[in-house]
Amino acid sequence: MIEAMKRGAAVTFAALVLIGCGRGTQPSQEAATPGAAQAIVTEAVTEYARPAKPSKAYRIGVSIPHLANPHYVGQAYGYIDEAQSLGAQVTLLEAGGYEHLDKQVSQVEDLIASKVDAIIIAAISGPGTVGAVEAAAAAGIPVINVNVMTDSDKVVTRIRSDDDVIGRMQADFMGERLKGAGNVVMLRGAPGTSWAEIRGNAFRKELATKYPNVKVLGEQYSQSTPVDGLRLMEDFLQTFPQISGVYNGADSTAVGAAQAVKGAGKAGAIVMTATDFQLDTEKFIREGVISASVLQQPVTMGRWGVRAAISYLEKKPVPPVMFTGLMTATKENLGNLDLTAVRAPAGWTPPAR
Amino acid sequence: MPAVIVALAIVFGSINPNFWSATNLANVSRQMSILALLALGQTFAILSGGIDLSVGSLLALVSVICAQQMKNFGLVEGIVAGILAGGFAGLVNGLIVARARVPPFIATLGMLVAARGAALTLSGGLPIAGLPREFLVLGAGYIGPFPIPTVIAAVAFVLAHGILRRTRFGRYVYAMGSNEEAAVLSGINVANYKMLVYITSGLFAGIAGVILTSRVISGQPTLGEVQELYSIAAVVIGGGRISGGVGGIGTTLMGVLVLGILGNGLNLVQVSSYIQNIVIGAIIVGAVYVDLARERRR
Repeated sequence: MIEAMKRGAAVTFAALVLIGCGRGTQPSQEAATPGAAQAIVTEAVTEYARPAKPSKAYRIGVSIPHLANPHYVGQAYGYIDEAQSLGAQVTLLEAGGYEHLDKQVSQVEDLIASKVDAIIIAAISGPGTVGAVEAAAAAGIPVINVNVMTDSDKVVTRIRSDDDVIGRMQADFMGERLKGAGNVVMLRGAPGTSWAEIRGNAFRKELATKYPNVKVLGEQYSQSTPVDGLRLMEDFLQTFPQISGVYNGADSTAVGAAQAVKGAGKAGAIVMTATDFQLDTEKFIREGVISASVLQQPVTMGRWGVRAAISYLEKKPVPPVMFTGLMTATKENLGNLDLTAVRAPAGWTPPAR
Repeated sequence: MPAVIVALAIVFGSINPNFWSATNLANVSRQMSILALLALGQTFAILSGGIDLSVGSLLALVSVICAQQMKNFGLVEGIVAGILAGGFAGLVNGLIVARARVPPFIATLGMLVAARGAALTLSGGLPIAGLPREFLVLGAGYIGPFPIPTVIAAVAFVLAHGILRRTRFGRYVYAMGSNEEAAVLSGINVANYKMLVYITSGLFAGIAGVILTSRVISGQPTLGEVQELYSIAAVVIGGGRISGGVGGIGTTLMGVLVLGILGNGLNLVQVSSYIQNIVIGAIIVGAVYVDLARERRR
């Protein structure tokens, strides 16, 4: 078993040229997570322990873009489970999709009005949430920013994946698999989100510097749903028959795009990289349609969000930036991944609200 | 309908006392102001026997144009450009309905799709950030204890009520909606007044779009999805007749209040947003049913 895990890690390492020397800080490290290679490049905090249980039962409001994919369900589980451990009560509000910015703004206002002790937000839009976040800060409610960044600097801390690394890992995998030459298209994900911007830009930059003969033919933003991924990828395949690689900033577009690639009979012939790990992503990796996916740890994001909120309320110092871990899933290491930080437990559903 | 509103407020207030807090009342009224402005325009369209499906997408188009012009030319120029963009889109709707005689449902459905496309094209699909911070005041500021959007919506209500009740245009709106043929025969220039109806609706959407742009302090091409349907719902819930001629600013205000209080109250008492949609759907149909039943009994 241990051997298998080590092999899994080794394979992932071989497949990926892990990055980390770029910023002159820490080189990449092998993760404690079995069977997974983890690349963390950072000045940010990468471990964050649970604080002592406070004597007060705090009320924490959480606003997330939606609950329509397993990433946010995992995050919801993180918030709720961690709050239980710390004796806090979570009000979880979801806006119903990245297109409903106005709804998220209203929900944050409702949380302010119901006088929660702290607000945790995964921002639908960086610029679009500035007003709402500053209204909370002005009302004396601390704001913890998780996963998707707001442009406001009135936040206690920012907890997210190192999105730059997610983009570069996909570029390196792509460059290696394509042996340094090919034509790729990009499905960036939801427009105006920090993750779509940072990941996509890092992917382009890494390709341009390390694999100049891998060309980006086109890119599209879309809501992160399978339907959008399917539609855009079908169109890409028509426009550019010479596509040899597909980048995905989000897992839901990847699932749709994989269907399009499979439907076109090009499974395996096109290198597909993705982010995150829903059940369909796993299935397509097993089938060899998706070549690799960079897994975030949404459950950890949720847990750390609640920890940061409570630490702040208990007047303990909170680090300003924290990066949760990453690992890479490929066909070779599928059986060896520790998914406790990636997915909610099987059968868990978010409370009906 | 007023009884329903009072009942809703009492129920929500007893479950979560914060419902009655000054912060929350300011909050609800501010959130309602966008829907209120759209519903005002929709009231003109529906009363006249038409409909305006484009108002939701117009929010996005106005938002993008307002943000771009504001970055290029300045605060006031951006606001004016946004409102005018709404009015211009309304003029196009009006021309197609009144001159080309395309049914309003189809004409404004076309605008719904095209305006969204224009918003995405102009912005490249991305939000437009970097607006001056003073602009935030429009959406987030207060005049005395009242949020600025609430004040704007209130003024708009009074103004619209005045137009409908005290001007020739207002009387003709009712006349066209009650019986268009009779209106034509009695010498009303129906085509001109129809154009005015859609320009009015577009201008209200323009004002709403500018306020929404301030609330999210950026130009956003994805704003306003399905808002046109909520604006229609607001008109009919209060008792406006969907085929025109019956209703007014008062009934629309009732509809806006019901939808606004429901949305905020259900959030405050922590009802799932999925269940909220079911409740709101049921209320739209239920309210109209009760209204019709009462009418039949008379």
